[in-house]
Amino acid sequence: MGKDTTQIETFYDVMRRQGITRRSFMKYCSLTAAALGLSPSFVPKIAHAMETKPRTPVIWVHGLECTCCSESFIRSAHPLAKDVVLSMISLDYDDTLMAAAGHQAEAALEETIEKYKGNYILAVEGNPPLNEDGMYCIIGGKPFVEQLRHAAEHAKAIISWGACASYGCVQAAKPNPTRATPVHKVITDKPIIKVPGCPPIAEVMTGVITYMLTFDRMPELDRQGRPAMFYSQRIHDKCYRRPHFDAGQFVEHWDDENARKGYCLYKMGCKGPTTYNACSTVRWNEGVSFPIQSGHGCIGCSEDGFWDQGSFYNRVTDLTQFGVEANADKVGMVAAGVVGAGVAAHAAVSALKAAQRKTQDKKEEA
Amino acid sequence: MTDATTLLVGPFNRVEGDLEIRLEVADGRVRAAYANSPLFRGFEMILQGKGPMDALTITPRICGICSISQSMAAAHALADLAQVSPAPEGAKVAQLLHMVENVSDHLMHFNLFFMPDFARPIYSDRPWFDRAVTRFTALKGSALKRATEARTQLMHIVGLLGGKWPHTLAIQPGGVTYAPTARDKVRIGADLAAFRSYLEEVVFGAPLEAFVDLTQIEQLSGWSSGDLALFLSISDDLSLDTSGIGAGKYLSFGAYPLPSGPLFQRGILCDGVAGLLDQRDIVEEIPSSWMLGADAHPSQGMTMPDEDMREDAYSWCKAPRLGGVPHETGALARQAIDGHPLAVALAREGSVRARVVGRLLELARSQIEMERLLASINVREPFMRQVKLPKEGAGVGMVEAARGALGHWIKVENGLISSYQIIAPTTWNFSPRDRHGVPGPLEAALVGASVRAGEDTPVSVQHIVRSFDPCMVCTVH
Repeated sequence: MGKDTTQIETFYDVMRRQGITRRSFMKYCSLTAAALGLSPSFVPKIAHAMETKPRTPVIWVHGLECTCCSESFIRSAHPLAKDVVLSMISLDYDDTLMAAAGHQAEAALEETIEKYKGNYILAVEGNPPLNEDGMYCIIGGKPFVEQLRHAAEHAKAIISWGACASYGCVQAAKPNPTRATPVHKVITDKPIIKVPGCPPIAEVMTGVITYMLTFDRMPELDRQGRPAMFYSQRIHDKCYRRPHFDAGQFVEHWDDENARKGYCLYKMGCKGPTTYNACSTVRWNEGVSFPIQSGHGCIGCSEDGFWDQGSFYNRVTDLTQFGVEANADKVGMVAAGVVGAGVAAHAAVSALKAAQRKTQDKKEEA
Repeated sequence: MTDATTLLVGPFNRVEGDLEIRLEVADGRVRAAYANSPLFRGFEMILQGKGPMDALTITPRICGICSISQSMAAAHALADLAQVSPAPEGAKVAQLLHMVENVSDHLMHFNLFFMPDFARPIYSDRPWFDRAVTRFTALKGSALKRATEARTQLMHIVGLLGGKWPHTLAIQPGGVTYAPTARDKVRIGADLAAFRSYLEEVVFGAPLEAFVDLTQIEQLSGWSSGDLALFLSISDDLSLDTSGIGAGKYLSFGAYPLPSGPLFQRGILCDGVAGLLDQRDIVEEIPSSWMLGADAHPSQGMTMPDEDMREDAYSWCKAPRLGGVPHETGALARQAIDGHPLAVALAREGSVRARVVGRLLELARSQIEMERLLASINVREPFMRQVKLPKEGAGVGMVEAARGALGHWIKVENGLISSYQIIAPTTWNFSPRDRHGVPGPLEAALVGASVRAGEDTPVSVQHIVRSFDPCMVCTVH
C-alpha cells in the first residue's frame, strides 16, 4: 500500500491550482453531497476531506470499445464537477484526451503506475479480447490485456466503465469473434465496481468517481457489483409513463395516436421493467430526456447479456427480480458476484505469447 | 540517397480508437507509409443470424462518436430492404439529428484533436506559439472549454429528439419514434441560435454567411478573426497548404437525403472533374488485410479474420476501391462534390489546410441548413411510417458520417441477417495497399512528409494523420 503519500497534493491544492475559487469549491462540495443523496450536514465533511486528504490518482485505459463512455462523461451536467474530476484525471493518464503521443504516452503510464503504486484507481473503458492471444486489440505493440493486467497489478481498485468492461457488450455477442471478456473475468484479485450502461449516464459516472475520490472507499454495491445509489431501482419503477402501464394504455404501433399521447411502450419491447438504472430519474444529456421519453422502449443496456436476448423489440415476458433472463445459473452467478471480486474462478486465460513488436524507447518530455 | 530507416508511430492519442503507422524514412522525408488498425471486434460476424431490426441497436455501438451515422445507415439499409421511404417529416427529424452529430464531430476534431498539436514545445520559436498554447493546450486551453460547452448545449437537441446520446435509438426505417411538438421546435431553435453565436464569436469571428460566401483560396489570406484566423496564420507559417497532398480523387455518398434530394450532392471528383457514383463499382480488396476470402463487392463480401496474421498483410482493415481506384472521403470531398467553389479549389490543393478548411466550411454551411430544416418541420404530420420487412431480400444504406462515406449492405434470408457488410469512412481513407500495391489515401498523403532529426513521433505526420480526422473504431468494426 501507499508509502510516500506525502508527495501527493490534496484535492483542494489541485483545485486551487486549476483556478477554482473557494466559493466554487464549497459549491462543488454541496453538489457532490446532493448528487450522492447525502444530507447537507455532509458538506463540511466533504470539504474537510478534500482539504486534508491527498488526492487519489486515476489511470484511465481503453480496450475493445467505442469510446462512448468518454463521450458521455465529458458532457456531464455539472460543469464544475466534471472540470474538477477531469483535471484530476488529466494529471495522470488517459490515452484519448491527453496531450502526449506515442512512446511519451506509454512512458507517462509507466511513470504514473510507478509513482502511485497501490494508491491509484484504474478506470477501464472497454474490455480485452482474449482470442489469438489478445492480438485483436493492440496498444503500443502489446495486447491490451497485458496493459490491463500490468496497470491493475498495483491499483487500489478498479472501475469498469460501461457495458463493455462490466459485461462484454455487443462485441461479445454471439459468436463473440474476438472472445471479448469483461474485466472481472481477467482481473480477479482486486475490488471492482461495475458502472454498466451503453454508455453509463454522465452524472452517474461523475457521481461514482467523486464518491470514491472524496471518501476514499467504494460506494455500497448491489449484488452484481454496481453502485446501489444509482442501480437499485428499475427504470420502470420511476418511469413517467408508468401510470399508463398500470392503466393498461399501450402504444400499439410507432407514431400511432397512443404514441403521441405518451402511452406505455411495453408492447413495443420496452425493457424498463427488468432494467436497473437511473435513466428515468437522472435522464440524459443534462437531464433533457431519456429513450422512453423519445418514444422508443428501453433496450436494457445496463443489464448483463442485453445484446443476446432475441430481438430488442420483443416484449418482456418474465418480470422477475434477476434481470432479463432468470434461471438458476444466472441467479447463482449473480450471488457469487456479491462476495466481491476475489472469487471469480473462471479466469482460465491462456498464457500470452511474447509481444511481437515490443516498443521500448522510454523517453520523457514532450 | 541514404538507406531508409523504419519508424513505428503509435499509439496515437487524441484519435478515436487505436492506430499504428509504419514509416520508411530516408533523407529526412517519409518514403513510404503503412497504416495499421490494430483493433478488431467482428461486428459483421456478430450481425449474422440476428433479426434485421437488431442492426439498429448493434451497429451504432461500433462507434461512440458517430453512432447516429451508423444508426442512419442501418435505417436506410432496412428501408431499402423493405422498399419504402421514411415519412417525410420523420426524415427531416432524422437528418437534423444526424447533422447535429456531424457538426459536433467537426467541432471536436478542430478543438480537441487537431489544434492541440500546435501547442507542442517543438514550435516554441514560432510567432503564433503563445496564442496556440493559450487557446489549444490539450485539456487546458481556453478554446477547449468553450467548445465542449457549446457542443453540450447543441447535443440537447439530440437528447430531446433522440432520448439519449451516444447510441440514440429513435431513428427507424420508417422515420423517428419521437414526434416533436411546436414547443420542442422553439427549444431547438434556441439551442441552434446559441450554437450560431458561439460559431460566429469564437470559431469564425464573423457572420457565417461571410465565410460561406468565399469562392477562392486567395480570399482566405484576408480572414483575420476567430480561431480560423489563428489556424490560417499557422498554416501559412508551416506551409500546411503543401503538406499531406492527396491523390486528388474524392467520393461522397451524398449527405442528408430528404424527399427533395440530398442537401449535399452524391458523386465523385477525379482530378477536378466531377462524375457520378455507382456503388456497384465498389470492391473491397484484401491482399494486405488479415482477412480470408476473396476481393468482393460488399453485397457479396465476407469477414473472416486471418488468425495467423500472415506476414505479407499488415492491417485488419480491408481496402475498398471504387472502379479499382482509392478515393478520399470526408468534409472536403463532400463540399467539393457539392460544388462549393472554395471547396472545389481546396480539393485541387488536397492538403492538410484544405481538409481543415473544408471541414470548417461544412460546419458553417451545416448550421445554416439546420436552421432551415428546423423551420420546415411540420409538427402536425406523421413522423413514422409502418414498415414490414420481407423475409428475403437485400438492401443498401449509404450516408455521410462526419468523416465521410459510410455504407451498410444487408442481406436477409428466412427473416434473419445472412450477411452484413460495412464500409466506414476511415476504411476508405486509411485503407492498406490493394492488389496492385497502390497505397490508400492516407498512406499516399504521408509520402514526402518531413521528419526532423531525432523525431520519433514526427509532428508533420501527426498533422497529416489528424487532417483526415480518423475514426479507427469504425474502420475495422
